[in-house]
Amino acid sequence: MANITCKNIVKSYGAHPVIEGLNLEISDREFVVFLGPSGCGKSTMLRMIAGLEEVSAGHIAIGGTDVTDLPPGERGVAMVFQSYALYPHMTVADNITFGLRRQGNSRAEIAPRLKQVADLLGLTPFLERRPKNLSGGQQQRVAMARAMIKTPKVFLFDEPLSNLDAKLREKLRTEIRKIHMQLKTTTIFVTHDQLEAMTIADRIVLMRDGQIEQMGTPDEIFERPRSRFVADFIGTPAMNFVRAEIRAGDELCASGGGLTLTLSPHSFPDLVAGQKVELGLRPARMELCGQNSHNAIHGTVVLVENMGAEGQVITNVAGAEVSFVTKDFRSLSPGDPVTFSIAPDHIHVFDPETGRSLRKD
Amino acid sequence: MTRKRFVTLTLIPAIGLLATLALVSIAGAIWFSVMNRTLRSADYEFVGLHNFLRLLRDRRFFNALENSIIWEAITVIGTLTLAVLLAVLIFETVKKPLWRNLICFAFLVPVLLPRVAAAFIWRFLYSPSLGVINYLCGLVGIGPVEFLANPSLALISVAVVDIWQWGLFFTVILLKLLETLPREPIEAAKLDSARTWEIHAYVTLPMLKGPLISLTLVKAVESLRSFDLIFVMTGGGPGTATETLDLYAYQMGINMGGRISYASAMSVLLLIVTTMAFVIIWKAGKKWTN
Repeated sequence: MANITCKNIVKSYGAHPVIEGLNLEISDREFVVFLGPSGCGKSTMLRMIAGLEEVSAGHIAIGGTDVTDLPPGERGVAMVFQSYALYPHMTVADNITFGLRRQGNSRAEIAPRLKQVADLLGLTPFLERRPKNLSGGQQQRVAMARAMIKTPKVFLFDEPLSNLDAKLREKLRTEIRKIHMQLKTTTIFVTHDQLEAMTIADRIVLMRDGQIEQMGTPDEIFERPRSRFVADFIGTPAMNFVRAEIRAGDELCASGGGLTLTLSPHSFPDLVAGQKVELGLRPARMELCGQNSHNAIHGTVVLVENMGAEGQVITNVAGAEVSFVTKDFRSLSPGDPVTFSIAPDHIHVFDPETGRSLRKD
Repeated sequence: MTRKRFVTLTLIPAIGLLATLALVSIAGAIWFSVMNRTLRSADYEFVGLHNFLRLLRDRRFFNALENSIIWEAITVIGTLTLAVLLAVLIFETVKKPLWRNLICFAFLVPVLLPRVAAAFIWRFLYSPSLGVINYLCGLVGIGPVEFLANPSLALISVAVVDIWQWGLFFTVILLKLLETLPREPIEAAKLDSARTWEIHAYVTLPMLKGPLISLTLVKAVESLRSFDLIFVMTGGGPGTATETLDLYAYQMGINMGGRISYASAMSVLLLIVTTMAFVIIWKAGKKWTN
C-alpha cells in the first residue's frame, strides 16, 4: 500500500506563504496529475512530497508512515526531473544503477534488474554511452529507468516532457501511461499542459495560488468545472465567456451580449430573474445550425483556423468574439453571416463576482 | 584590412617583446652554462658540458632536487585537499549568502598579502619564544617546538604557509564553482539515497573535474616560484633542509661562490625537467577529462 496523505500542508518562504493549508488524499495505484499555471505551487507540493523542500507546517504520510521529517532517500520515492538531472560524467548504466549501489546492493544483484529496465525502455544499446551523447528523448528514458529500477512506492514526475518536441512528448506520454498500467505504482505527475493532464490522469488536482481549485477525473473537470478559472484553464480552444442576465418567462433563459439562450432548469434551479451571470460556452460543444434552431447564435465570421479534421471559427456576435469548432469550416470565409447553436445541457453558468459555478447537479 | 591581419599586427609588438625577453634570458643561461664564468674574475672559457656533468655528482644538487619535489607534492596536494574539504564544508553548512560572502572575503586576504609579509607574520607565529603557536602548544603540554629550526619540520612548516595562502584562495574559487552547478543532479543523488559525502565524491566533484585539473596545474606552476617565501622564512636552512633548486641556484650563482655558469647549468636543467613534466601532466589531464 502506498497511498499518500497530505494534511494541512503550509509552505512559506519567509513571510510569504506559497501553499496554505492544503489537504490531499491519493489512493494506492492512482495516477494523479497536479495541473495549474506557473507559480501555482504544484512543483513545490511535489518537491515537498519528495523531501527536497521542507514543509513549514502539516504532515505528509506515504503508505501510512509519516515521512514529514525523513530525508528524500528514505521515503521510498523516485523522481523524474524536467531537466532529466542525469549525472553527466557517468555512463547510462552507472546513472541508472547509482541509487541501488548507494543502497549497498552488489553488482550481481543489480545486473538482472538493469537488464530488465533497459529492455523495457529500449535503452540496451546505449548503456555504455554518456548522457551528452543521447537525444532528449533518450535522456528522459534514462531518467525514467533510474527511477524505475529502485522499485519505489511512489513515482514523482516534475514536468518531465516539457523539454521535448510535440511528437516525442505524445509518444513518451503514452509510454508513461502504459508503464503505469503495468507496474501500478502510485504516481504523481506535475504539468502545466492541460491536454497532457487530461490524457494521462486517473484524477486531476487543479491548483491555483497554492490551493486546490478542483479535484476530479478528467471528465468531471471538463464537464463540470466548479469555477470559471477551471473552465477557462481546461479545453482547447478555450471557453467563451459572455456576461448575461436571467430573464423572467416560461423558460429559464439568459440573455446578453447579443444572444439569448435557454438553460436547463434542472441544472440551475436557484437562478432568479434579473440575476447577473456569466455564461460559459465551449467551442467544441457548439455546431452550425439552421436560422430558426433552438438556442441559435447569429454572428459574422472573423477568422477561420484550420486544425486539419476540424476548424475553429471565430465570429463576431454583437461586438464580442465567440468561437466554435466545426468540421464544415471549409465552406466559411471571413465576412459570412453564420448561425450556430449549443444544447442547454452544455451551457455553464458562473457567478460573475466569485467565479463559482451555479450548477447544482 | 582584414580582421585576421589586424589581430596579427596588434599582437606582434607584445608577443615580440615577451618572446625576446624569454628567449634572450634562456639563450643567455644556455651560453653561461657551457662556460666557466664566475663573478670574481673577468676571464672565462668554453667548458662544454662540464658544469652539467659536475651537477650529476653534486650531492647538494640532488638534495635540492629532492626538496623541490617534496615541496611541489606537499603544496599542490595540500592546497587542493584543503580547498576541497573547506569548500564542501562551507557549501553544506553555511547557507546564508551574507555569511558565505564574509567567509570568502576573509579567505581572500592571505593571498592578497605580499609573500614577504606573509613569511614574516608566520616567522613570528612559529617563533619558539614569542610565537602564539608555541604558546598554544605549551597549553597542551607540548614544546617549545622549533618549527623552522628542526630539519625534519622546517620544510613542512614553510609549506603550511603556502597552503594557508593558496588553499584558502582556492576554497573561494571551488565554493563559487559548486554554487554554479545545476541543483537537479544533487537532488537526484539525494533521492538515490546518497549521503552528503557521497554526493560530493560521486557527483559534484566529478562534475568539476575540468576546473579541478586546471587549478592543480596553476598551483603546480605557482609552487615552482616559492623562492621568496622559503628565502625569508628559513633561507634554505637549517643546513640545506629547505633548500630547493631555485634557492640553491641563487646561493651558488649570487650569494656564495658567484659561480654563475654552474648556477646557469642548474637553471637550464630545471627548465628542461619542468617543461617535460608539465607537457606530460597536461597531456594526461586532457586525456582524463575526455
